[in-house]
Amino acid sequence: MTSIGTGYDLDNSVFSPDGRNFQVEYAVKAVENGGTSIGIRCKDGVVLATEKLVTSKLMKAGANKRIATVDRNIGMVSAGLLPDGRYLVSRARQETASWRQIYKSPMPVASLAGRLGSFVQMFTMNGGLRPFGITAIVGGWDSEGDMAVDGQVGAGPSVGAGGKASGKKYGGPFLYMIEPSGLYWGYYGAATGKGRQAAKSELEKLDLSAGALSLEQGVKEAARIIYVAHEDSKDKEFELEMTWVSGLSGPTKGQHQEVPKELREEAERLAKKALEGDDEMEE
Amino acid sequence: MNHLPQAWGRPRDDVYGAYDASHFQMSGPTQHSSRPIVTGTSVVAVKFKDGVVIAADNLASYGSLARFTDVKRLRTFNSKSVLGFGGDVSDMQYLDRLLNSLSVRENYSTSIDDSGKSDLDAHNLHRYLSKVMYKRRSDFNPLWNHILVAGLGEKDAPFLASVDLLGTTFSSPTLATGFGAHLAQPILRRQVPDEAASKELSQEKAVELIRECMKVLFYRDARSMDKYSIAVISKSGVDLKEDEKLENQSWAFAEGIRGYGTQVN
Amino acid sequence: MASVFSGAPPAGGPGYSFKSTPTPSQASGIREHSFYPYADNGGSTLGISGADFTILAGDTRSTSGYSINTRYEPKLFKIGGEGPDHVGATLVLSVVGFAADGHALKERLDTIVKMYKYQHGKPMSVAACAQRLSHMLYGKRFFPYYVHAILGGLDEEGKGALYSYDPVGSYEREQCRAAGAAASLIMPFLDNQVNFKNQYMPGSGEGHALQQRVPEPLPRADVEALVKDAFDGAVERHIEVGDGLQTMIITKEGIEERYAPLKKD
Repeated sequence: MTSIGTGYDLDNSVFSPDGRNFQVEYAVKAVENGGTSIGIRCKDGVVLATEKLVTSKLMKAGANKRIATVDRNIGMVSAGLLPDGRYLVSRARQETASWRQIYKSPMPVASLAGRLGSFVQMFTMNGGLRPFGITAIVGGWDSEGDMAVDGQVGAGPSVGAGGKASGKKYGGPFLYMIEPSGLYWGYYGAATGKGRQAAKSELEKLDLSAGALSLEQGVKEAARIIYVAHEDSKDKEFELEMTWVSGLSGPTKGQHQEVPKELREEAERLAKKALEGDDEMEE
Repeated sequence: MNHLPQAWGRPRDDVYGAYDASHFQMSGPTQHSSRPIVTGTSVVAVKFKDGVVIAADNLASYGSLARFTDVKRLRTFNSKSVLGFGGDVSDMQYLDRLLNSLSVRENYSTSIDDSGKSDLDAHNLHRYLSKVMYKRRSDFNPLWNHILVAGLGEKDAPFLASVDLLGTTFSSPTLATGFGAHLAQPILRRQVPDEAASKELSQEKAVELIRECMKVLFYRDARSMDKYSIAVISKSGVDLKEDEKLENQSWAFAEGIRGYGTQVN
Repeated sequence: MASVFSGAPPAGGPGYSFKSTPTPSQASGIREHSFYPYADNGGSTLGISGADFTILAGDTRSTSGYSINTRYEPKLFKIGGEGPDHVGATLVLSVVGFAADGHALKERLDTIVKMYKYQHGKPMSVAACAQRLSHMLYGKRFFPYYVHAILGGLDEEGKGALYSYDPVGSYEREQCRAAGAAASLIMPFLDNQVNFKNQYMPGSGEGHALQQRVPEPLPRADVEALVKDAFDGAVERHIEVGDGLQTMIITKEGIEERYAPLKKD
C-alpha cells in the first residue's frame, strides 16, 4: 500500500498530498471483512437481513442478535467491527429518544440517517479519534397514519386540515446506508460486508425502483441473496437473521420486528433450493 | 407628551401601580406545582374472575369549567395493562410520555422469541410508578394524580392497585379514586366485598357494575360527564372503548331532593 | 441605545414601571405553598416479647380520613433473608403512620440487612439492625419518615427482643409496645396485662407497703390471647382499626405468619 510509511495514514486530521484520508480507507477495509448485511426497500415495508458468521460452536443458536431495533419503527444492521456497530446503535437510540422529548413524536428515518451521518463524519475530522469500522444500514417505516402526539389526550379538531396537505403522501418505507466516512445515501437496496458485490448484483436484478416488490417477496429475496453472497465463504458456518417493518396495515403494524420463524424457515428453504438449482445449471 | 424617552410605552406607576417584577422569575427559588390545574375526576375499577374492568369519563375540568370534553384518561401500556388517571391532566401527559419511553427502552432488550413474556406486567408497572410518585413527593414536586393500575400480574392473575401523589399504594378487588372513593366504592363493595367474590364475578357482571357506577357518579359528581372510556383487561388482551355514552338515565330522583337551591323544604 | 437612555427617570417625576433594569429575583410577598407531603393511613400495631419468642401484630385496614382504602394492606414486613420472599428471615419490622414512608423505610432496611449478610457472611443481629434503623430514621430528621416503627427478633441469647421507635429515631428495647391510631387504647391494656402495672400482691400490706406484682415473661399462648383481645378492643372503639389481623411470631424455628379476620364495620 502506497500509504504505509508516508505518515499520512497515522492520523485522522491529516490529508495525504493527493487528498485522501487513509484512516477512513482502512476503516472501509474492516467493513469489507465483515459478514454480509443487506436491506431491501419494498413497496409496503423494509427487510433487513444479515449473514451472521458463527465464530464458535459454543454459542447458543439464534442468540446474540445482530440486527437492533431503534425506537419502535426502525431497524439497524452493520458490517465491520461489531462493537462499533453497537455504539452507533446506542447513539441512534439516544437520538430517537431525544427527538421524542423535543417533538413528542417518533423520529423520521431520514432525520435519523442524517444525524447518524453527521455523527460518523465527526470521527473522521478529529485527531485522536478513529473512524467507525462499520457500514450501517438503517431501515424503517414512517407512520402513514395520523400519529398521535406522545401524551395526546383527545382526537383533536374534527374539522380542518389537521396539519396535513391534501393529496400529499405521508410516511412509508425508508432505507439508508451510512459509510465510515459519514457518507450516507438513501437506497432501494443496500448491501455491505464481504459478499456485497454478489449481493448488489442480485439486488439490481430485482428492479426495486419500480416499487413492485412486496414485503413478503422481499423477505424471500433477502434470504436468497444472503445465501448467494455466502457462496464465496462457504467453509464458514452462518445463521440467517432477518427483520422487517411494514405499514400499519401490514404484518408488523409499523413496528420493527424479527421475521417470524415459519416465514424465515420457508424463505431459507427456497433460498437453498434456488442455490441447488444454480449448481445444476452450471453442471 | 412625555419627553423622557425611557418612559415611553411604559405604564405609569401612579395609574397602574408598580410592576410586580417577581413575575419574571429568571432567578430565585424554584417553583413547584402547589395545586392541580386541569383535572380529571374519578376512575373506577373492579377485578373479575379472569381480568379487570376499569372506567373513567372523558372530561378534563378547569376548576368548575368543563374545559375539555374529549380527554382519554385511560392509557394502555405495552398493550397489556391499563392506567386510569385522576387529577392533573398535564402530569398525566408527562407520565404517559415517561412510560412510553420506558416501554421503548424495555422493548430493546426483549426478543420476539419469548412472545412478550418478559414484558413489564401490571405489577411491575405499578411498582415503577409508585417509586416515581414517591420520589416526586419527596422532592416537594408532586405529580398531582391518583392512578389506578389494572392488568394481569404474576401467573396472569388479575391485578388492580392504586398509587397517589404521595406515593401511597394499596390494592383491593374494587378501587375508585376521587369522588368515586365516596360514591362508587360502596356500590362496588356491596357486589364484591372481598377477593373471593371477585373470583366468582363474570365479565358481563363486572362491566355492568362499572357502568352503573359511572351513572351514579354522573348523577352526583358535578365535575363528571356522560361520555366515558371503559377497558376490559383479560388474557385475550385489552379491549378499550373510548367513546361510550351513559344510557338509561333517570333523573326522577331529582324531584325528591330537598334542601338545596330554591326548594328549601 | 441602552447607554443613551440608561438610568431611571429623574426623581420628582411620576414613577414608571421598570424604573431602571427590572430586578426579577425579588419575590413579592408570600406565595401559596399548599402541598403537604404526608398522610395518615390509620391502623395500629403492637409487639410483645417473651422468653424465647417475639410477637408482632397489626391490623390490615388502610384509611384516608373516613374512607377505607383497602381492607388488606399489611403493616408487618419480614426483613432480610433470601430473595424477595425473605426465606430464612429472623427479623420483622412493623410500621404504622404514613404508609408510603413505611414502605420506603422497609425497603431500605431490607436491602441494608441483606447487604450486611453479603458483606459479613453472617446475618445481622437484632441489636445491630435496631441501631441501624435508628440512624436511618434520624438521617431524615428534618424531613422525617412519618411512622412509628417496631422491630422484633431474637437477641444473641435467644430471648425475645423488641425495639420501638419514634419518627426521628429515638428508640429503646421494651417488653411490649403499641403504636398507631389505637396506641392510646392498647398501650394501657398492655401495661396492665404484660408489665402488671396497677396489679399488686394480695395481702402484701396497705398504702406504700403494697407490693407490685412482679412482671415475668408470659407464655406464648397467653400472649397470643392478649394480642387478640387488644385488637378486638381497639376495633370496637377506633374507626381506623379493623378488617384483618396480621400476626408474625418469631421463634428459633423462624417466622410464623398468621391472618385472622377482624370486624369490618
